[in-house]
Amino acid sequence: MQGRKPLSIQRQRGMREIDWTQYMALPALLLFATFFVYPLIRGIGMSLTDWDGMGEATFVGFANFTRFFQDARAMGDIRTTLIFAAGSAILLNLVGLLYALLMEKPFHGRSLTRVIIYLPAIISPLIMGYIWYFLLQPGRGYLYHALEQLGAPFTLGNWMKDYPTTMLVLILVNVWQYAGMTMIIYLAGLQNISADLREAAMIDGAGTWQRFTGVTIPLLMPAIRINVVTNIIGSLSVFDVIMSLTEGGPGYATESLSIYIMRMCYGSRTGYSTAVAMILFAIILLPVLISMRLTREKA
Amino acid sequence: MKKVLATVLALALCVSAYSAFAETKVSFFTGKIETVDLLNEIIDSFNAANPGIVVEQEYQKDASSIIKVKFASGEVPDVMTTYEQEFVDQGKYLDLSAENEWWDRLVPSMRDSCTDLKTGKQFRVCTNMTMAGFFYNKKIYADLGLTPATTWDAFVANLKVIKEKMPDVTPWFIFGKEAWHLGHLIEFIPHGYLKQTLGTLECKKAMLENDSAKLNFGAADGAMAVFAQNLLDLHKEGLINEDVLTATSDNCVEAFTTGKAAMFSNGMWALSGLLAANPDMADQIGFAPYPAYMPDSKPVVLCAEDSGYSISATTANMDAAKAFLSYLFTADNQKKYSEALGSPSAFTDVDANWAPAAFAAEVKSVLNSAVNIGFTNEKPAGFTGDDAGRMVQDLLAGTYDAQSFAQAYEKAWNEGF
Repeated sequence: MQGRKPLSIQRQRGMREIDWTQYMALPALLLFATFFVYPLIRGIGMSLTDWDGMGEATFVGFANFTRFFQDARAMGDIRTTLIFAAGSAILLNLVGLLYALLMEKPFHGRSLTRVIIYLPAIISPLIMGYIWYFLLQPGRGYLYHALEQLGAPFTLGNWMKDYPTTMLVLILVNVWQYAGMTMIIYLAGLQNISADLREAAMIDGAGTWQRFTGVTIPLLMPAIRINVVTNIIGSLSVFDVIMSLTEGGPGYATESLSIYIMRMCYGSRTGYSTAVAMILFAIILLPVLISMRLTREKA
Repeated sequence: MKKVLATVLALALCVSAYSAFAETKVSFFTGKIETVDLLNEIIDSFNAANPGIVVEQEYQKDASSIIKVKFASGEVPDVMTTYEQEFVDQGKYLDLSAENEWWDRLVPSMRDSCTDLKTGKQFRVCTNMTMAGFFYNKKIYADLGLTPATTWDAFVANLKVIKEKMPDVTPWFIFGKEAWHLGHLIEFIPHGYLKQTLGTLECKKAMLENDSAKLNFGAADGAMAVFAQNLLDLHKEGLINEDVLTATSDNCVEAFTTGKAAMFSNGMWALSGLLAANPDMADQIGFAPYPAYMPDSKPVVLCAEDSGYSISATTANMDAAKAFLSYLFTADNQKKYSEALGSPSAFTDVDANWAPAAFAAEVKSVLNSAVNIGFTNEKPAGFTGDDAGRMVQDLLAGTYDAQSFAQAYEKAWNEGF
């Protein structure tokens, strides 16, 4: 204790007060810098070169970025990624909200049902995709044969024949897997809505629909924002579901930007693939910024 | 006494630490799952017979991609089975041209196949040969009185007879969900035509130099357009499976071994899977070449190098790596290897039962009667066999007609350079 002077004396002598607790964040900052900031900066540098992953890299300026926007395949991949993200985000929120509303009401076996709905979210999307392929494979899937045995036609037919049906199947499988996760966030939001408010609305004569649109939805807005943003971010970086169900095919029809990046990287176009990763980063950043803006407005 | 014991103990510790330090570790990287178990056995016996050297095997399913990461990160394995022209160009492999102990035992044509065209040197040793052509169901053929076709017209006629007489049987099963398989069709049929007309060496040079006058991929009446038109016609007439775009290789094996498919195109690596699925089928599997499909062309069969082994140019364990390969290449080990792989050995002193006798005899007969072609290792780095296969998927999905397919192929090939 002798070597340390009281704080008041430090202040009196004009010495700066040091809060040592702030240095406790250093390990976390170090990890963040090593595994996020450094790769990001290296990535930006790499995206401006023609590096093939092994040899010498040559600076090419923004050539990789301009080439990306001139590549018809890449533009098709952007379309697929955006359609997948928009479709998934809309359906995930509708289905998740529906699940949450159903699971909010007390009934026998509710906890077990919630677990069953949530369960697909903890299984690897790659494995889930393969399972669904075994179920849905045109002409050979288990679901196809089950419906055939029942005398009912397989309504999806050869779903890989045309783009809209293929995209629909990809979106539905994704929704099936992650609707449980969305449900959990909505359930938490619903549980925060006071029962008094709903009761007051009921006493005032509001019907079920009016209570839902006038009380539940406005008070559920924070949960909606979180769900919409996280679903869009997750869906924009989709890889596993598409890889296991269609491998991005037929041709490159259902290839997402993440798959495109992987293929370019392994096709000895590392510099170019890094540039595309930067573009994907920017595409994902947009909804994040919008969500931050919305959150700030609320605050 | 205590001092003596302590000294002895310290000496023993030093010796064991030194021997552990002096141990040479040879990393061996492979993408061939069919040989992993056998190689573990061979490695164990090599390690036991060679104190001071420890070989460690690493298997990766996507080896051809992962090796790029290893090269980029400097974690290069000492010995590897992955081989690409771009790695050769970048000097990644050790020159093995002087290893006459190995080359003197190899079939001469296989040494040619292992030779890098640009330098004339050998950077890999291929232990086996592989063939690709049509696997066909002999019983179906015999029941319908058919013989394997050597011309495209006869081939289509066979398919039509099968469809007509056996409506539940798919005449030609194509598992098009797997792009590599469709890429192989390009490799064996239109590229095969180029190799037989230009000659294997000239064709390789033309591909390496992208000599468009010789390759002529985009021509309206060229090998690529005719191939595309033929495939579209077969699809339209229902002579290939309707689910060509979604069928997998597992589906193909199942259909073929249960008599629901009359034929499919593949390499010898498919044989063990067929026999595992239906061991009773050993005598019913036939092998035929790809029929001649262009004017004045001949039937073609792939006869290529398989199971290539290379040593890293930067290895610090060159002698140990060579010692391991010498051990692996002994006749006894290669007999086991050939039988595990299901393909004939490239070593002249190895006599292996790599396939059922009747099948092996038919393969030999096809090799003697058809034009033998090799794999194209000279493809542009930016246009892989999988990329070519995905273009065929687009063709079958209706994105292209034959002419636009040929033009798109030429464009993709040129851009790949």
